[in-house]
Amino acid sequence: MSAADGGVSPTAAPSAGIGVGRLIPPLLVLLVIALASVLIAVAIGSVHIPPAELWAVFTGDGSPLHRTLVLELRAPRALAAFAVGGLLAVAGALMQVLLRNPLADPYVLGLSGGAAVGALASMLLGMGAAVVSGSAFIGALLSTVLVFGLAHGTGSWTPTRLLLTGVVVAAGWGAVITFMLAVGPTEQLPGMLYWLMGDLTYARTPWVAFAVLLGTCLLVLPLGRSLNVLARGPLQAAALGVPVRALEWSIYIGASLITAVAVTTAGSIGFVGLVVPHMLRLVLGNDQRLILPAAALAGGALLALADTLARTMIAPEQLPVGVITALLGVPTFLYLLYRSR
Amino acid sequence: MIATTTARTPLRILAGLAVTGILGPWQVIAADEPCVTDDADREVCLDAPAERIVSLSPGATELLFAAGAGDAVVGAVSYSDYPPEAEEVPRVGSYKRLDMETLLAREPDLIVGWITGNPSEQLERLQELGVPLYLSEPRELDDIASTLERLGVLTGTAGHAADEATAFRDAIDGIRDEYADAEPVRVFYQVWDDPLMTVNDAHLISQAAALCGGDNVFGELGSLTPRIDTESVLDRDPEAIVAGGMGEADETWLEPWRGYDSLTATRRDNLFFVPPSSIQRPTPRVAEGSRILCEQLERARERR
Repeated sequence: MSAADGGVSPTAAPSAGIGVGRLIPPLLVLLVIALASVLIAVAIGSVHIPPAELWAVFTGDGSPLHRTLVLELRAPRALAAFAVGGLLAVAGALMQVLLRNPLADPYVLGLSGGAAVGALASMLLGMGAAVVSGSAFIGALLSTVLVFGLAHGTGSWTPTRLLLTGVVVAAGWGAVITFMLAVGPTEQLPGMLYWLMGDLTYARTPWVAFAVLLGTCLLVLPLGRSLNVLARGPLQAAALGVPVRALEWSIYIGASLITAVAVTTAGSIGFVGLVVPHMLRLVLGNDQRLILPAAALAGGALLALADTLARTMIAPEQLPVGVITALLGVPTFLYLLYRSR
Repeated sequence: MIATTTARTPLRILAGLAVTGILGPWQVIAADEPCVTDDADREVCLDAPAERIVSLSPGATELLFAAGAGDAVVGAVSYSDYPPEAEEVPRVGSYKRLDMETLLAREPDLIVGWITGNPSEQLERLQELGVPLYLSEPRELDDIASTLERLGVLTGTAGHAADEATAFRDAIDGIRDEYADAEPVRVFYQVWDDPLMTVNDAHLISQAAALCGGDNVFGELGSLTPRIDTESVLDRDPEAIVAGGMGEADETWLEPWRGYDSLTATRRDNLFFVPPSSIQRPTPRVAEGSRILCEQLERARERR
């Protein structure tokens, strides 16, 4: 979708030797797509608002009902969707570089499991939305520290070891989640399932996620070169003077923190973190200086559009956004993959 | 769970008394600016009787129609199918996930929410947006009557609602009196078949059975609708098995029990069906459902 509009050759470009100037045009295209997606998300809802009325709302006019719909319901949710999508896509791109594994996504190391256990436990205790978010964040951090500590262990450290530790910890969380779903009161099951599927209804305010997304972009951009080298392998990276261990742990902790923010905002939305970085690599080549900011924009755009569909497709019934991200993303990704051969 | 007390306007004692039905002449004053306490112990006050109501549970829709406010219901969630007129009311999503836009576009002046059914974050959001919200959670038989009265006050149909409440209380008291000396019958109520689910004593269904000597074999379990296994049913050997079903006349859930001759209920053919919506929803129809249930338990007694 967004990537195809970039119109860049699909063959994977070599990561070194591209000037910074070459990075700007694709990013500008993605920026336009991102802005358009947020605009669409604000303009479309289950209630039809004519363009003239919409414009009136933007200029500080408009009926009280339309103001509430656009400013209180749609805008915060669209921004939250964009921020969460961007965070997940960036976290996914970072994890794929860190683990040198194409199947890595933000949740592969068990973070969403920890967050889900926190969120579901506080739902079982009948807590309000704020406590559920807080518990999810604590659960995510707990899982991160657990995996960090266990993977560190006493032996040598490798991405494989980290991956195995994370996957097994994730399986453990999965068991706890299943247990809670099995014993939880029936009336709470829908809420718990929606949280697990990911749903922007939980987004209370977009600003935290948005600020974190901006901060993340500013922090990882200078790391692009080192990440490019790291992606080719730790030995070459070390030989070229990259502090491999420090860089790897920073990626792990950074990606975990931003995933925790995303999951805390909207539950564990799947797919975005796995597929958006791959789509971008197929179209733009594997240059982390480009992929990371592009992931922020494309992931945000995808989730903002997907959430618009989730709100409106079978309105007034509401779908969890995870359904739509997969429905949109799977064919797009398969098409790009097929074309790239 | 949900914000406990939000006194929207200063406490109005007169209105409070009017709710309890003590006041005669002052009720007129109260009706102008109705105030009631909802099931979350929040004070809900309106500037005027509600004219545009959105109901967020099928049960609340039914209660609003019963309270005489059916014409004022301008939005309801899916499965709001009783009375038949309720099917015509525009939908605002499902109780599990509300379509906030469609809901607000109905421009409600009162929303009747469901504490354990609606997503708490959406109820919180509605409160933030400032639409008067009455939170409902009828847990006891008498809560049905008092909900009718309270909704009547909020919607300006207090007289009609009070009559309906009285009729409901009379029906329940009638059943209780009729079966006052009834011998206990050990009963298992099956609320779902896969997974197998029942109710505990805190549930309305168990309370309805208790009106006429029904002794819930799973009454002491901790959860309101516990998931159980077939073994534990065989172990507790109920004298009667009562099941709902997927539809209003679907008795297939009782079939598997016919294979267990060790069950007293099976040997005596005490496998009964109650139309689920007449007893599983906290509405005035529970009086009718309770009567059916009690007649079935009476048949079980006769077959001893």
